[in-house]
Amino acid sequence: MVLDRRAEAHRWLDGGRANAMFDRLTSMGASYVELRAMSCDSTTVQVRDGAMESAVPSQDVGVTLRVLADGAWGTHSTTDIESVYAQGESTLKLARAVASRRATSVEGVELAEVPIFQDEVHWHPRGDVRTLDLSERLDAMAAVEKEAREHERIASVATGWADEHLQTELLTSEGMDRLWTLQRALLHCTVTARDGDRVASYRTRYGGEGGAASILEADLGALGRDGQDAAIRQLSAEAAPSGRFTLVADPDLTGVYVHEALGHPCEADLVAAGDSCLDGRLGQKIGSGIVTVVDDPTIRGGYGAYPVDDEGVNAREKMLVRHGVLNEYLNHRETAAKFSLEPNAGARAQDGLHHPLVRMSNTIIHGGTHRDLDDLLEDVEHGVLACGTRGGQVDTGRGSFQFAAQEAWLIERGELVRPLRDVSVSGLTLEILNDVDGLAKDGGLASPGFCGKGQTVPVGDGGPYMRISSALVG
Amino acid sequence: MLAEGALERVQEACSVIGAACTRAGVAQWDVLGSQTYGTEVDIEAGRISLVGSGGEGGFGLRIVQDGRFAFARLVDASGAERAVNEAMSILRRSPSVDGFELPGASTVHSTPSAFHRSVDDLDADDLMQRADAVLAYVGSVQENAVVTGGGISASASATAFLSSEGIERSSASTSMGLGVQVTIDHDDQLTSGWEGTSADGLLPEVPDCVDLALQWATCTRDPISVRDGPSGPQDVILSDGAFGSLFGMIVPRAINGPRLARNESLWSGRLGERVMAQHLSIVDDGRLEGGAMTASIDGDGVPTSTRTIVDGGRFVAANWSVRGAAKAVADGQVEHAESTGSSSRSIGAPPSTSTHDLVLTSTASRPSSEAMIQQVDEGWLVHDVMGAHTANPTTGDFSVTTSSVLRIVDGEVVGAVRQAGLTGNLATALRGEVVLAAAPQRDGRPGGSLHLADVLFKASLGVNPA
Repeated sequence: MVLDRRAEAHRWLDGGRANAMFDRLTSMGASYVELRAMSCDSTTVQVRDGAMESAVPSQDVGVTLRVLADGAWGTHSTTDIESVYAQGESTLKLARAVASRRATSVEGVELAEVPIFQDEVHWHPRGDVRTLDLSERLDAMAAVEKEAREHERIASVATGWADEHLQTELLTSEGMDRLWTLQRALLHCTVTARDGDRVASYRTRYGGEGGAASILEADLGALGRDGQDAAIRQLSAEAAPSGRFTLVADPDLTGVYVHEALGHPCEADLVAAGDSCLDGRLGQKIGSGIVTVVDDPTIRGGYGAYPVDDEGVNAREKMLVRHGVLNEYLNHRETAAKFSLEPNAGARAQDGLHHPLVRMSNTIIHGGTHRDLDDLLEDVEHGVLACGTRGGQVDTGRGSFQFAAQEAWLIERGELVRPLRDVSVSGLTLEILNDVDGLAKDGGLASPGFCGKGQTVPVGDGGPYMRISSALVG
Repeated sequence: MLAEGALERVQEACSVIGAACTRAGVAQWDVLGSQTYGTEVDIEAGRISLVGSGGEGGFGLRIVQDGRFAFARLVDASGAERAVNEAMSILRRSPSVDGFELPGASTVHSTPSAFHRSVDDLDADDLMQRADAVLAYVGSVQENAVVTGGGISASASATAFLSSEGIERSSASTSMGLGVQVTIDHDDQLTSGWEGTSADGLLPEVPDCVDLALQWATCTRDPISVRDGPSGPQDVILSDGAFGSLFGMIVPRAINGPRLARNESLWSGRLGERVMAQHLSIVDDGRLEGGAMTASIDGDGVPTSTRTIVDGGRFVAANWSVRGAAKAVADGQVEHAESTGSSSRSIGAPPSTSTHDLVLTSTASRPSSEAMIQQVDEGWLVHDVMGAHTANPTTGDFSVTTSSVLRIVDGEVVGAVRQAGLTGNLATALRGEVVLAAAPQRDGRPGGSLHLADVLFKASLGVNPA
């Protein structure tokens, strides 16, 4: 069914039928039942070298029923909303089947208590994406492309636009009845430069939570020029040296580092599964005293922002590391109960068809020891400045990680001497955190990104320019 | 699992959407519909943590007129009229591509059925029993080993394709997958191995990949220090999984026709030239029995085939979708191009140039993986890499890291290294001295459509132990 895309808070779930199912299942022994529906009205547009490749409007709706019984979960997910009310008993049976297999020595799942709300929370956007005309999107993309193209060495420019209006409804057997909405918009551009046989590409991204206005009001030409400049610079870049170097990371890369190296091991579901190098280290010093890291979904405009997590808990800042000491895990209700902690709104699901996992939102390292980039570079005898991100990956159990830069420079005696290409950095979380020896004063969220952990969710991350005294550069 | 009448309902819905197009006067249209039902069992911390069931589906509609196209996604057929109107308004803004129109119906050779009753009949209890078997097996083989993550899933899908040009196909398929992360956390040392496998038929109760995960969680314990190891290009054996991670990022894009035409492929301008070692060939097989991407028609409705892409090291053919070919010709990028039946499509995105199952073969002698290790005087065996998605598909350069790496000296494995960086250029490495091991197989990851093997790159990759 395609609804009026401007309709405000159309309810997908039927509260009466849901409550009847909750009553039925709790009378049969379920300790908790929840229905969560998510709808997403989205538009994606692709333009290549000035011509529209595709524009795809979509509406996705999904619902997940979760039943907790005898300390175990059963779930049922479907795009057929009407059918979900008939799935209660079979889902309860699944939960019981899981519980029956649990060894007596293993604790069953419990949920930490949370405040119960019956309300609607709307993060009103500036520039509602549902009322945006295709031409407005195309104009914004053209503004980026125009500046990106104008150079003889630019071989092609691909721009993309993605926006979405998200609505989540949560009904639970505890009486929770919440509905919340938010919007996100993203513009990205990949510039490819060519000089003879040498080819280089550079990707820029811009956007976040809050509608289309933040993009439409931005200096889009600068985004294109930045991409063009970087792609052309990369044509003359040399292969990166390999080995241990002092590394200075820009805010984009600092963000990816914090996300991969620290954020993931702080996810309490991984800790509980025995798959985190930070297991048992709460309250312990795990890094340099200048390292303070927060994860904060309440930063409006951040790509990972949300008002309420997918278990109905009001979003709040989490202080993961305070002055080098591991202060807090990211939790959902299940892990909060397991570790006797407060739920801190870390539950996120990719969409209505997935159950919530513990996830990051906007993850930032605080700055402060150095004035700016120049100040950080001044002490570097031999090192690498790495900028922009091509993504990263972490093995949370072993604590090893890798992230790749889009461009880099060799640093000699405090000066940037030549550009480098295809630089990646790898290391071990518990070693590298101790080697952070400088952070510029100013920094905030950098480019928007995505995080995969079986499910993909939008995230923000960032920080100031950061210096690591010894990092493995590839 | 597959609900009774599911296939007929998807077909009927496609007809309803097509009728809406006809009523609106749309010149050409095609629609793909899909409905999937499935069950999954999640494993965490050595036990089953959750069992879930469900279903999802939808429809992807493409309309074409005067060389222009638009695409819309629908949840169900009741929104057909609105979706057609929305698509029509986008179509008017879409650029016209001379010569682009939907293909007509042509003879289609059937492909092996990917529907297996044995998978369709699986229920949640069956999957939980299989999960129990895997958990028990791991515990029985290695006392301190625990399956800390992963799961088992089974699904069945009904898919239908219908076009204004008379193409009408429908099929049912099944899929089964298993992934396990095996962790050994003992003596203040945590090591792990992640492996997975998938098939359209029934998997063994304890697939081989479970042993492989156990093996790598075990053999990477008690790492050695190689601080003063060799520098410069070294002999490196990549397991089929590690090789597949890099190959999959780089080679499918290198053979993509539109990317080649736009000079964005590392093999742009190299058609007819040698791009790999002379004994290597690549086939893109749309009809491979059991292939993950096997289908009788591609996303445009064009019949699939088995095509040689690289023949004896020479790059001989590129892949094209219908629109990609027409656009490259219309833009003057190439003189001639036509669909190779190589487009992929989902209910959420229009067709685009892609690959089916890529098979890498070698006419040279192919030693066993064990014999390959014996060929290395001093080098490395890398089983898995992190960060393969950061490889540069335009240049072939990559710089990744691995925690599953063994040191080889005098033809023998002498120990594991805790972590190492792995750098190089895959295009250059494939042109250099390459040895492909025996027994080509899938890349070992769920959804894998790469049929590779363990590979030895002689003196072409860099390894930097941490």
